[in-house]
Amino acid sequence: MLISVEMPDSAEAAHASLQAGAVPLGGGTHLLTRMNDEAGPDLRVVSLRKAGLRGIDVDGDTVTLGAATTLADLEDDPRLGYLAGCVRSIASPPVRTLATVAGNLFVPQPYGDLAAALLALDAELDVLGTAGLRRERLERVVADGLPEGELVTRIRFTAPAPGTFRFHKASRRRLNSGSIVTVAARLTVEDGLVGDVRLVLGGLSRRLLRAAGAERVLRGAPLTAEVVAEAAGADVIEPFDDAYASAWYRARVYPVHLRRALLGA
Amino acid sequence: MPSTIVTLKLNGTERELIARPSTTLLSALRDTFGLTGAKRGCAQGGCGSCTVLLDGRPAVSCLIPVVTVDGCAVETVEGLADGDRLDDVQQAFVDHFATQCGFCTPGMIMSATALLNREPAPTRQDVTEAICGNVCRCTGYEPIVTAVLSAAESRRDGAAEGRHDSAAERRHDGAGERHRDAAAPLSGKAAG
Ligand SMILES: Cc1cc2nc3c(=O)[nH]c(=O)nc-3n(C[C@H](O)[C@H](O)[C@H](O)COP(=O)(O)OP(=O)(O)OC[C@H]3O[C@@H](n4cnc5c(N)ncnc54)[C@H](O)[C@@H]3O)c2cc1C
Ligand code: FES
Ligand code: FES
Repeated sequence: MLISVEMPDSAEAAHASLQAGAVPLGGGTHLLTRMNDEAGPDLRVVSLRKAGLRGIDVDGDTVTLGAATTLADLEDDPRLGYLAGCVRSIASPPVRTLATVAGNLFVPQPYGDLAAALLALDAELDVLGTAGLRRERLERVVADGLPEGELVTRIRFTAPAPGTFRFHKASRRRLNSGSIVTVAARLTVEDGLVGDVRLVLGGLSRRLLRAAGAERVLRGAPLTAEVVAEAAGADVIEPFDDAYASAWYRARVYPVHLRRALLGA
Repeated sequence: MPSTIVTLKLNGTERELIARPSTTLLSALRDTFGLTGAKRGCAQGGCGSCTVLLDGRPAVSCLIPVVTVDGCAVETVEGLADGDRLDDVQQAFVDHFATQCGFCTPGMIMSATALLNREPAPTRQDVTEAICGNVCRCTGYEPIVTAVLSAAESRRDGAAEGRHDSAAERRHDGAGERHRDAAAPLSGKAAG
């Protein structure tokens, strides 16, 4: 049960409130589902709704998202068209009105589709901790989590050049369904050969997975079905069973979805 | 934490309630204000039967601690009809048999209303995307999609003819039906 809800009016005040053992509340679309569960834990939360952390700034190719920016805000912003497919694959309109960008970084798999995209874009975070504001790579935070009492205030990334960002999510239904396999990639192809590549997988491990093995296979190679098939075998994946798919099924269809993500077929 | 006073602009009228931290917007609507249109289906964000408009956007009210939306505008299905005159989305649901047991209907209508407020000429695909968070176990969805497309059309007809609610006026002999959004500025489609 929610035993307290604070509504600070700044990030600093929110951070101060967290020091007493409360947790940040973004849109609540994960936390409140746990609260509404009969067996849900007692929780003290600090809502970020009025903490001045909502907004999208695009300066040249640097994109900065306030932590409490909603998925609906992203969907509405024509400057972020390359993220639209990802955002619209997440839940449904009445959930996206509430769900926040930072919240998506901390939900358990198979959720975290936006986090997969942001990880492929090598996003960095502004984190408010006891020593003040610092920058952290999202990759580090996805791997190790964030210490209690710390607050993400902003997410920053470089907008991908046109045509270099791929997002593909396999799900049971076309809309409003959790991921079976999610593939997010930033990838350049020059003279038929893969140049720079960052590849992130969802649904295939308890945490989002940077597919470093696949990246090594792809880098410098032609983007062909054979190469992509080899790339699909190059990482240790640890898929899991859930209501959407079995671990076996996830492993079985991963190569298909990597191919669809990278080759479109 | 003690209870706090929360103010909502509820269906256009300012209302106050005393809320505990754990009170959701859904329970405030149902238990405090007696507005039982929004339903508690799953309380997990998954069925959409609790959908209301929050500052004009569709939102699952079961996942919102009401203290966090102090000062916000909330519209529920009860705010759509004018007395016993249904608004055009509601009427289209009746006309097209888009409601059977009715449990999903208020949430479905609020999702549809949110869509039509933003997109007066939706495609079938727009409608299915707009209602993808609203589960219906009875109708098979087809009549719902047809009803929403038909409501959009009757709104556009009404706007083109300078009237406010063509369906209601046909039924009520042109009694100056209100239609709050027919002339509202349009925000266009979401980026695709
Ligand atoms: C029906 C349904 C379907 C869904 N489908 C999908 C889906 O397809 N894909 C998907 O990715 N997700 C899905 N989700 C999960 C969820 O809605 C999203 O991941 C959403 O982005 C979570 O954001 P939130 O703000 O609501 O999170 P909250 O519930 O508010 O918070 C989630 C976690 O993040 C922490 N947190 C929030 N903000 C901060 C911050 N600024 N700093 C540090 N920690 C923070 C919270 O303490 C909490 O631990 C779904 C949820 C529902 C209910
Ligand atoms: S009751 Fe809110 S989504 Fe089901
Ligand atoms: S009419 Fe019964 S659930 Fe939709």
